[in-house]
Amino acid sequence: MTTGAADTPGPPAAAGAADTAASPETPWPADDATPAARRTSRRALLGFGGAAVAGAALGAGVAAPVAWQASSNAATPIDIVEFFGRYQAGIATPAPARLAFATYDLTVDGTLAQRQAALKALLQAWSLAAAAMTAGHPVPGDLTDPEAPPADTGEAYGSSPANLTITVGFGPSLFDDRFGLAGRRPGALADLPRLPPEDLDPARSGGDLCVQACSDDPVAAFHVIRNFARLGRGTVVMRWSQLGFGKATSNGADQATPRNLMGFKDGTRNIDGADRASMNAHVWVGGETDQPWMRDGSYLVVRRIRMRIEAWDRDFLADQQNVIGRHKYSGAPLTGAAEFDTPDFAAKDGHGEPVIPMDAHIRLVAHENAGGIRILRRGYSFTDGMIADSGELDAGLFFMAYQKDPRSQFVALQRRLGSADALNEYIEHVGSGLFACPAGLRGPGDYWGSGLIG
Amino acid sequence: MHLTRWSRRVAGAAGLVAGLVAVAAAAACSSGSNGSPSAGTTQVTITLTNDGCAPSPASVPAGPVTFTVKNTTGDKVSEAELKRGGTILGEKENLTPGLSGTFSLKVEAGDYTIECEGATTDSFPLHVTGGTAQAAADPAVAAKLNAAVAGYQTYVLAQADKLGPATTAFTDAVRTGNIAAAQRLYAPARSYYERIEPVAESFGDLDPDIDARADDVEDPSAWTGFHRIEKALWQDKSLDGMTPVANQLDADVAKLVARVKTAKYQPAQLANGATELLNEVASSKITGEEDRYSHTDLSDFEANVDGAKQAFMLLGPALQTVDPQLYTTVTQRFADVEDALTAYRGDYAGSSYVDYSTVTEAQRRVLTQKVDALAEPLSQVAAKVAG
Repeated sequence: MTTGAADTPGPPAAAGAADTAASPETPWPADDATPAARRTSRRALLGFGGAAVAGAALGAGVAAPVAWQASSNAATPIDIVEFFGRYQAGIATPAPARLAFATYDLTVDGTLAQRQAALKALLQAWSLAAAAMTAGHPVPGDLTDPEAPPADTGEAYGSSPANLTITVGFGPSLFDDRFGLAGRRPGALADLPRLPPEDLDPARSGGDLCVQACSDDPVAAFHVIRNFARLGRGTVVMRWSQLGFGKATSNGADQATPRNLMGFKDGTRNIDGADRASMNAHVWVGGETDQPWMRDGSYLVVRRIRMRIEAWDRDFLADQQNVIGRHKYSGAPLTGAAEFDTPDFAAKDGHGEPVIPMDAHIRLVAHENAGGIRILRRGYSFTDGMIADSGELDAGLFFMAYQKDPRSQFVALQRRLGSADALNEYIEHVGSGLFACPAGLRGPGDYWGSGLIG
Repeated sequence: MHLTRWSRRVAGAAGLVAGLVAVAAAAACSSGSNGSPSAGTTQVTITLTNDGCAPSPASVPAGPVTFTVKNTTGDKVSEAELKRGGTILGEKENLTPGLSGTFSLKVEAGDYTIECEGATTDSFPLHVTGGTAQAAADPAVAAKLNAAVAGYQTYVLAQADKLGPATTAFTDAVRTGNIAAAQRLYAPARSYYERIEPVAESFGDLDPDIDARADDVEDPSAWTGFHRIEKALWQDKSLDGMTPVANQLDADVAKLVARVKTAKYQPAQLANGATELLNEVASSKITGEEDRYSHTDLSDFEANVDGAKQAFMLLGPALQTVDPQLYTTVTQRFADVEDALTAYRGDYAGSSYVDYSTVTEAQRRVLTQKVDALAEPLSQVAAKVAG
């Protein structure tokens, strides 16, 4: 540590502005940057002369705490994903290893003006905190007054944000009569219809607001939903939350495809977040929206999909592969030899049967069979231990998908799966949520939903 | 969540002395690497041995002080306490030989002692010189804070004065074996105690003696206080053997009342004590843990909130000057909690509330959320009124 005073936590209020001003990185262009370019990699920072320069880049010029550098260990990974930009980070940006997700319900009452003011104050406070946390700083406020609880809860202090992204969305219930937003509800935010087979738990579904925090450090991710709950005390209560302990789905061509808890590679044919044309065609909301405030945003569908792991694990290999439509170890389609081979859905075996069965999961969801529908999946494996009633594992896929319009994308795809998917024998949708995630924040001072409630 | 006897004690001390535990924990985390002391904080080192615990230096100026307690070789001692007039203001416990720890607080001028039970000499003087730590920059605010402290002293004395007779009425019924009467008198007697619980907790073992739950004590036969009798009344439905427990409760309450008469407070203590009372509500009352046999938890809940509100309202005039927005927020949140509680009014078992076992999990969750919504801004008050 060469910046001396930075060892002592200080008021980080100016950190956000200083970050931008002092950063040697090229600011993220409004239009053309790919997600890869948004990442301030460790190598890029060290390239400017090592950790000391990195400290200056991150706002230490004003003696703000560069907390995670306190170890003065140059080998410490320094990975930051730019928080500000045209789009919210956490969608196209490469999915890191861990997830902390939570939804919150607003509890404020009073007059309409008071409720609106409380919602705006909350989103401003969250935005300020998020800008700090994603840059590796504590939640703004006093950390050293012995008489006061520190403004930041502290568990991430001294750690790298490890590619932390924080993404916020608005649920359909926010657009009831409480905040005067009924007229601003996008058509695409229509309540999800019943999508059998499903057995949704209301205690794990819905919410006025959602927060998706992703990081390679699970503590950094949890730190977000904890501090957001604290900052919102009296305005919001947490409705439910879900931790994801492992990235289950790749969303970029340069990533190794991870496996979900069924042991199969997931995301092989997913949209690549760096593919601007596909993102514009399927994910980012454009001029087609009926609500201009959603331009450059995206709609998030989350499904807590419990896997019947015990049953799956005693299914024989050939059947597991027929259920999915892929080879378990290589990830290749049953008609191919390598993971990224294009599936041949017309191929027949010696008995005249389709090589990829008619009810195989990949056949039903493939865009060439589904009218060109594609979504950006960004799921995480979860477990919440054991189901007490049965002694079986409570684990599965926390499915998250971003898209332009859930009515014609997720809902249409899920309807195809619901009636026919062989996978249904082994999975169960037990939680659900739909959220309108607005555009990114333009810079310090901007806040989530400024176009909606500003 | 249940508090053990040990943590209850620490929590009590923390509640009264401005976030001791939090400060100690933060110090432990920085573990000597880069924890540069903030400007103006005096450092006192206490070397703990079997011979004693002399502070160095033994005289310090009023203001923020960080005490570093090091147990070098003492196998008969494991804690050091800062006391004034019999009240524990700060302490560090569980220091076996080789361990050290810190606690920090703001001290005003006067004579204190550093005590270490088990040592050959177990009490050493600490002299604090100069003005009072609470001398706020604005004399008008300082006058309001002085009035708050005086008002709180009066309030605590008034509650203690009622606690004595109410406890005796309860224990008289216990001694005469009148279960029905004792059940009716249990909740009302406790309410006076619950209003001033953080003060009681600052007197070391008195709170466990009066208010321990079954799982707070290692030796069940040593379990005393209200909850021992509560179990006899509602679960055992027999008062056999309870007369000595009733006598002991009278004696412990009398001790508490006597000590309260000389207790002195600082403005931050009022605020932290109020937060501590709400933490008690969330951890012990809403869970149904406190009055698990009688289900009179809502009566204790109300008393905790009353005590917290009293302390806050006394600080109100000063806080309105220092941070009017915070004053307004906390005032509104107190009203929200009181409104939520009103919905459960009743006349169960001598209390003014319903049987707590009839309150559903969903309802308990809402109560917790309201209490948390109040306690969060309330926890900001101490720093505003601490000189």
